[in-house]
Amino acid sequence: MIEVAALAKRYGAFTAVRDLSFRVGPGEVLGLVGPNGAGKTTTLRCLAGIIPTTAGSIRIVGNDMANDPVAAKRMLAFFPDEPRLFEYLTVRQHLNFVARIYGVAGHEAIAQPLLEEFEIADKADQLPGELSRGMKQKLAITCGLLHSPRVMFFDEPLTGLDPLGIRRMKDSIVKRAREGATIVLSSHLLHLLQEVCTHVLILKQGEKIADGTLAEVAARFSNGDANVNLEEVFIRATGGSER
Amino acid sequence: MLRALIYLRLTSFKNWTWSRLRRLRQPKYLAGGIVGFAYFYFFFFRGLAGPPARRLPPHAPAEALRTADAMLAIDWLPFASAMGAIALFVLLVLMWVIPARPAALGFTEAEIAFLFPAPVTRRALVHFRLLSSQFRNLIGAGVMMLFSNRWSFVEGNPLTHALGWWFVFSALNLHFSGANFTLTRLAERGIGTWRRRVLIVALFATIAALTIWQLPASGRLPEFTDEFALSAIADWVVTLAGTAPLGWVVWPLKLIIAPFLAADTRTFLTVFAPALAVITLHYLWVVQTAVSFEDATIDQAQKRAARVAAWRAGDRRIGNAASKGRPAPFKLAAVGRPEIAFLWKNLLSTWPYFTPRVFVGCTLVIIAGCSWMNTQPAWRGLLPGIGVFALIFSGYTLLVGPQFARQDMRTDLPNADILKTYPLAGWQVVLGQLLAPTAILTAILWLAILVLALTFHPLRPGLVWLTLQLRVATALGLAVLVPVLVALQLLVPNAATLLFPGWFQASRGRGGGVEVVGQRMIFFFAQLLTMTAALLPPTLFGALLIFILQWLVGPVAAVTIAAVAVLLILLAEVWLGLWWLGGRFEKLDLSSELRA
Repeated sequence: MIEVAALAKRYGAFTAVRDLSFRVGPGEVLGLVGPNGAGKTTTLRCLAGIIPTTAGSIRIVGNDMANDPVAAKRMLAFFPDEPRLFEYLTVRQHLNFVARIYGVAGHEAIAQPLLEEFEIADKADQLPGELSRGMKQKLAITCGLLHSPRVMFFDEPLTGLDPLGIRRMKDSIVKRAREGATIVLSSHLLHLLQEVCTHVLILKQGEKIADGTLAEVAARFSNGDANVNLEEVFIRATGGSER
Repeated sequence: MLRALIYLRLTSFKNWTWSRLRRLRQPKYLAGGIVGFAYFYFFFFRGLAGPPARRLPPHAPAEALRTADAMLAIDWLPFASAMGAIALFVLLVLMWVIPARPAALGFTEAEIAFLFPAPVTRRALVHFRLLSSQFRNLIGAGVMMLFSNRWSFVEGNPLTHALGWWFVFSALNLHFSGANFTLTRLAERGIGTWRRRVLIVALFATIAALTIWQLPASGRLPEFTDEFALSAIADWVVTLAGTAPLGWVVWPLKLIIAPFLAADTRTFLTVFAPALAVITLHYLWVVQTAVSFEDATIDQAQKRAARVAAWRAGDRRIGNAASKGRPAPFKLAAVGRPEIAFLWKNLLSTWPYFTPRVFVGCTLVIIAGCSWMNTQPAWRGLLPGIGVFALIFSGYTLLVGPQFARQDMRTDLPNADILKTYPLAGWQVVLGQLLAPTAILTAILWLAILVLALTFHPLRPGLVWLTLQLRVATALGLAVLVPVLVALQLLVPNAATLLFPGWFQASRGRGGGVEVVGQRMIFFFAQLLTMTAALLPPTLFGALLIFILQWLVGPVAAVTIAAVAVLLILLAEVWLGLWWLGGRFEKLDLSSELRA
């Protein structure tokens, strides 16, 4: 469960996000969409506790990010657009390190199915430098899932993946949601979001333009058209421009 | 081709200069630029107009040193020439022994992309590379001239020094290319790497053995007794470099060094032609032996680009990036203090020599070596010198070590986003990050203290109060304080990283420059100032305690109590620093900082 109330983030005179409120429940997948510079990544980074908010509150599974960040972070996993890995740790050593940070006892038993699910079990003793971009992405996700997070944030999770990788990533996200995880993801690949998300939130210049289930948002911008897709909704909602 | 090269180099240089000047509009670069320019002006350029004030008059060194009973009680020039030639000879031998890959020329990836598909011959590419390396040689010669112009024992003037360095760099550069081409040819004819290495080492071992055998009785290596004089070593080196067959081999190398050592312009002109002849012969050798280098060059360029990227990302290790995983330094249990996970991770990111096993091995070697030397009259005279070296090394390691041992927040700053998602308080992350460099520097300093303790012998009657017990107590006290001192030292650059990430990123960003030198100097002096402020109170308090308590409980107990008291103060300082930096880390917004 994610509860966001009146979130704002300013950089000096520039406001990246203003007065943003929304709620995502267990099993729901929220797609965060918007033009370049809309504040998607800033929002995700605030939600994950990476950067402090200027105003507003964020609660992760009931834990306030400002007052009890350690408890809130224990519940979440953040997956950046570019996998951030430690160059000198092998796949297995990454999992070992993350297990110690999160205090995951018996992590080997948890890690092995994850390694197999993401098809990197045979790469366990390799360094990130020996892995392809897709493999690195899989390793980053395996590390993030090791402590069984109840909330997950994905920033452009499909970037750089081949068609097979995109399919597997989508399946994995849907599977976690079905298992009860709360998921927020941002992406420019709207037709793919449409397949994964239950809800959508459209941002433009740091402000929320619309949010709700896909059907609710589509209905709001359909102008009476039947079967309008997310791409069309996005263009109509944002006016077809970044500004 | 030549015009294209000149255009490329001059345009690149012009654009580089403009980009550096433009970024001086940012305060972080402007401040660095002012400090950097001031440093270069006062330490190097100001002295270029005339001879340094401290330089000895022409032909005075030998006499002056003899009068002063200094180490070189001989004419300086023959020793410098011999030593330089032997050093060059060692470098050249390594060029023949070490290479294990086919010859490659140092093209960049951009040069490969534009020049390799271009309609030019292989020989033209070789010429391009050789000429291109001359730009680097000239810059290197200019930089080295700034340093060598301050050496009071070298005569000549800035121009002869710069040209002298150019000869040295050009000879090394050309010899490296020639050796690589020749080795590749040998490999193509079926002479494998190890066979070649054995042959070359055997050849040079024969030369060394014959030379030592030929040495006259007066040229034997002197013993390191208490009355030992370093001038005897200088004599021995000169004799060695003049004895056949080594003398024959290093003769051309002496010709290469001669322009740098020329006392005046007239002497320089007389040694210029022979040096140029050696360079020309090298050039002809390289052009004649050039073999296929394209594949190896592309491979080398890719590796170099990866290395540069890793360097900019904070990985300051020498050599190629790790290509294989290695065993963990110790077993990391899944449950326990999370800070230890950072120690474990950061030890994995450094050299594999920093292990308890190596530390124990070094300890045993030091104990055995010092004990053995103490029993050998011929070597005992070296012990005080080793002790002084260990003392200087300790001070240097404590002062400058944190600039080299960077397996902490400085290396992990690009991963700050991920670190901040961990369910840890800020101080835990900072503490975890400090553990690896603290452990590494502590181990090094402990070894240095051990050397000091084993080599220090208070022989003078005035030092009888420095009993064995007191020496042991002092050494142990220092050993206990070292980890906290190192942690305190490391807090400063880590604080700089978290307080001024924009500055920090800029100081290790693209390319160097005077302003980057200045930024690093600002960091360094800020560190010195902070450490002085942090160390002054505990030092004064410790000294006061020793002064008072020695009358009451004796010097050994006084030193012990003072060490414990200082330790507590330092621990409190470290804890305060961690707590404060942890808060700063929690508030850190890298995206905001780097916008500036």
